[in-house]
Amino acid sequence: MEPFDNDELTEQELDAILPDWKAPVAPARLRAALFPELRMPWWKRLWGASFRIPLPVAFVLVILLVAATWRWAIPRDVPVRNDLQPVKEISLRIIRNADFKN
Amino acid sequence: MTPQQAFDQHHQAVYSFAWRLTHRRDIAEDITQEYFLAFIRAPHRFDPAKGSIKVFLFSITRNLALKQYRDDRGELPLDGSERLAGNDPRESIAISSAVASAVASLPHLQQEALILFEYEGVTLEEIAQIVGADIGTIKSRLHRGRERLRRILAEYRKEGNTHGTVR
Repeated sequence: MEPFDNDELTEQELDAILPDWKAPVAPARLRAALFPELRMPWWKRLWGASFRIPLPVAFVLVILLVAATWRWAIPRDVPVRNDLQPVKEISLRIIRNADFKN
Repeated sequence: MTPQQAFDQHHQAVYSFAWRLTHRRDIAEDITQEYFLAFIRAPHRFDPAKGSIKVFLFSITRNLALKQYRDDRGELPLDGSERLAGNDPRESIAISSAVASAVASLPHLQQEALILFEYEGVTLEEIAQIVGADIGTIKSRLHRGRERLRRILAEYRKEGNTHGTVR
């Protein structure tokens, strides 16, 4: 009897070792990601809806929003005349044409 | 078969195959999702006359994994040149890691044939259809892959299998 040759596995030994490499279970979120309508009512889907826009477009929108807010929030420079006072008493005077005949 | 039924029956196989080919959970997840999205959008692409659903799903998964490889690492060595494994199996304590590293060290074509045959239960004929080669080539790849694994994994021989072996 000779010592066991350790340099190579037999086919049977390899068959015994290979199953030790087990794959992980696929995550449950995969199903939810692929079939979201199966788990959520419409209002929840609407609540969670999103859309993607290109960054330059988002940038322009932000600038427009800031400009609009600034324009709305800050009052315009309207000239104010301090010499004008409210009318205290209204008195009517009828001016007739000189050619007028009663 | 509805997309939901297809998913329930096959998503684990697609995920496992993708994970074993790429060794990354995130990529395996992306590939599984991409595969089923394509299936949902165009279920008519699966033609039972051309082969079983198993052949169809592993073919697509293989292509997606190859695409992922190419995107990440440049062109994949498909001609038999060997890739280095991420870890040296001699330093690995767990047999599982050692097997994963050893399989990863195989040339890609041997690797996919071995994974499909040993882990996914795909027949030689089906593997030939999936990878577009003849059965003789698949047998040869499997043989060479197993031969190399027998050498690499020699030191992970299980206790029970060593006793009583006489030359």
